[in-house]
Amino acid sequence: MRDGLKWLLTLPRRLHVKQIQVIVTLTIMFVTVFSVLIASLMLYNKFSSSAEENTYLNIGQIIEQVSSNLELYVGGIQDIFEILEKKIDESGLLGDEQTQNQLSTILETRADLVSAALFKPDGSLVLNVPAVALRPNTKLQEQSWFVSAQKNPGTLQFSPPHIQNLFKWQYRWVVSLSKQIVYNDHGQKKPGVLVLDVNFRTIDELSHRISLGKKGYIYIIDPQGNIVYHPQQQLIYAGLKYENLEPVLNYAYGSYEDESTGEKRIITIKTVNPTGWRVVGVSYADEIMTTKKDLNTFIFRFLIIAIALVLLISVVVSYKIAQPIRKLERSVKRIESGDFRALVPVSGPYEVEQLFKRFNLMLRRIRELMDQIIHEQEAKRKSELDALQAQINPHFLYNTLNAMTRLAEMGRSDEVVTTITSLSKFFRISLSQGNNIIPLRDELEHVRHYLVIQKIRFKNKFEFEIEASEEALGCSCLKLILQPLAENAVYHGIEVLAETGHIRISAQVAGDQLIITLQDNGIGMTEEVLKGILSGEKRVKGSGSGVGVHNVHERIRLYYGPDYGLSYESELEEGTAVTITLPAVKLEETMEG
Amino acid sequence: MSRHKNWLLAAVCLLLVTAGCSSENGELGKEGKEPVIDLIVKMDHGDYWNTVRMGAEVAAKEYNVNFKFSAPENENDIAGQISQMEQAIKEKPDAIILSATDYMALAQVTDRASYAGIPVISMDSEVASTKVKSYIGANNYEAGQKAAERLIKLTGPSAQIGIVNFVQGARNADQREEGFTDYAARFPGVKIVDTVYCGSDEALAYRLTLEMLKRFPSLDGIVAMNAEASIGVGRAVNESGAAAHLQLITFDNPPEMLELLQEKKVQAMVVQNAFSNGYLAVVTALKAARGESVEERYDTGIKVIDLENMLWPENQKLLFPFVK
Repeated sequence: MRDGLKWLLTLPRRLHVKQIQVIVTLTIMFVTVFSVLIASLMLYNKFSSSAEENTYLNIGQIIEQVSSNLELYVGGIQDIFEILEKKIDESGLLGDEQTQNQLSTILETRADLVSAALFKPDGSLVLNVPAVALRPNTKLQEQSWFVSAQKNPGTLQFSPPHIQNLFKWQYRWVVSLSKQIVYNDHGQKKPGVLVLDVNFRTIDELSHRISLGKKGYIYIIDPQGNIVYHPQQQLIYAGLKYENLEPVLNYAYGSYEDESTGEKRIITIKTVNPTGWRVVGVSYADEIMTTKKDLNTFIFRFLIIAIALVLLISVVVSYKIAQPIRKLERSVKRIESGDFRALVPVSGPYEVEQLFKRFNLMLRRIRELMDQIIHEQEAKRKSELDALQAQINPHFLYNTLNAMTRLAEMGRSDEVVTTITSLSKFFRISLSQGNNIIPLRDELEHVRHYLVIQKIRFKNKFEFEIEASEEALGCSCLKLILQPLAENAVYHGIEVLAETGHIRISAQVAGDQLIITLQDNGIGMTEEVLKGILSGEKRVKGSGSGVGVHNVHERIRLYYGPDYGLSYESELEEGTAVTITLPAVKLEETMEG
Repeated sequence: MSRHKNWLLAAVCLLLVTAGCSSENGELGKEGKEPVIDLIVKMDHGDYWNTVRMGAEVAAKEYNVNFKFSAPENENDIAGQISQMEQAIKEKPDAIILSATDYMALAQVTDRASYAGIPVISMDSEVASTKVKSYIGANNYEAGQKAAERLIKLTGPSAQIGIVNFVQGARNADQREEGFTDYAARFPGVKIVDTVYCGSDEALAYRLTLEMLKRFPSLDGIVAMNAEASIGVGRAVNESGAAAHLQLITFDNPPEMLELLQEKKVQAMVVQNAFSNGYLAVVTALKAARGESVEERYDTGIKVIDLENMLWPENQKLLFPFVK
């Protein structure tokens, strides 16, 4: 139970309620269901109340119809009774053939008239139509129609349906109309009771065909509460059915609800004049409610289908809306992880499409900017390095001039001349018309002049040799890359060496690579220094130009790419060999380019 | 990706639930099928059986039951009724109402119906089967006693009495006779001089009565145990002129007998409520078919009708066939 509650409470969180899809789905659903619910409720109320009204109206009309039919029928019988009365009054001689025939003719006009008879107050028969013998033991004076006629002289009485037991013929169900009249007995005016028996069938038929719903029915009672007609009269007499007559007798017109039989029934009453009978319509509330129930189930089904449809539609719609956005999200994630090539496929609704276009545009722009930054950075670096390169010159010049002064003082004019010649060549190549790329021939010449000057300065502390294949000499080379390496070899490898140093520079083409090696027999480098030397982390202190080997390495890589550059091999006390790898490019091509 | 799959799944589930709901509603409609109830009585004619049938029809209409009426041509046709039972079992109605022509002979076929899963309700007269769900009808033993009580009241405590019964072996006939003789046995002066069986044949009853009147000229009273016996006895007594000194108690209420009652040729009639029998039998059978519990017996009562009370409103409906 608790787990279930927890599950329910955490459901929104687990379903990511803040997702666009969920928000859209829930909103559409809520709005639709709410409006459908309100509409159905209103319609339901309207329909059910009008259905109920209609049913009441219908019942009322049916009862009205039955009672007016009955009134008409009774009116017709009353007329016949009056005619009979008049005929008997007119005839001076009762029992004569002419009167008998006249009365017979009247009775024969209608099939529902069973018999008519005139009795004296003592119960003896004066005349009857048709002329059939009386039964014995009729208990005439106890019969209700006889009693009530004498009690209310001059007014027509209606009996409840009963068995006609007066004449030897048939036991028939009849309603008796009776009235105390005065008849002419051989000129004498005498009181008598005239009775007209009417077959019960007509009333039965009038009422039988009426049904109120499937179970509903009508019944008729007289003012005393005797049942005139009831579709289940047998059952009522047998005690199997019960009709709550007491309230019915209190009403003359209208309807009320009755629950005396355990079921809710609607009783509608209308009184029929002049008999005083009441037509009572019984309809079952649950049948009236069937319309309501039908409506209920219809609306319930309608709601469920509507909700299902809305859910489906909202899921689809929200999916359609959220999907491209989610695609964008995924692209952004890829970009986040550094993949700037990840363009978003342009699709989806207009706004999203526009967003994607702009996003892609932005992405392209970022990529361009990044490339630009890289280029700028490289350019900046190159110029920085070039500037550093430029610094070599005054420093080196100062040292060389200083050395020359000393040589001049000592009068070693040959060496001064050599130095000056080399210096001038050195600077000429350094300038090289501002070109960064020069023939390897020039570069080697440049380093040779450098080494000549240094050799004089260091008083022949070292020897050097330069050799290069003809093919290699024709290749182009980045300017001033050998000089820093040579400087490095002189200052760090050889200067502190006890014996004569030896520097050997060689260059040859291997495949599409130009390999230049500079080897010395200096003190070598420790593993640690070796590691730091290319990365530029470890600046070698007290060095000449301050242009690190690292910078040479950087420049080569900036110009030619990461595949090229320097590599060191060194052994302590044995010497160092540095190899420069460059692309083997013929100078002409470069110049043209 | 998996999240909106979940949502689609939820939507599909909801649709399925909806579909489930509507199909359930569809099944409810099947309940509207009318239950079938077979009504097998002793005889296919006569006022008593017609009224029983009328009662059954009213109940069938009220409860929306499809009921089938069948009966042999006369009350002696025990084999005919057994074959009708067998036919009914084959057709597998939801329930059978049986008014057994013979207490013992119909027992086996009644058991078979029950084994076939068809509840059996006995009506009017019982059958020797423990499988019967309920009995609806008059207490026939009591009816016999009431007839004896009235007859002895009329004849006085020393009298010669003859019995015209219908079918020996029919439970209600036996019980009525038993009730009658048991009551009569209380009076040492009352002698039952003759008992005959007419097999619910009016003409035979007429002949047997004339014979009985010839053999026992000083007969004080006759009791006729059912409608057909009553009509035959009534005619014989009336025509022979014996009515002047003979007290006559009859069973049931054929119109001929009502005429005789009013003419004081029959002193009293023991009347059962045929309409109620038919009506209640169908109602009870329907309950049994639905598997609801039903009462073991339903006494629909008997009335002793005489000239005094024959026209009381509540008896008119019982005695006189309603407008048809």
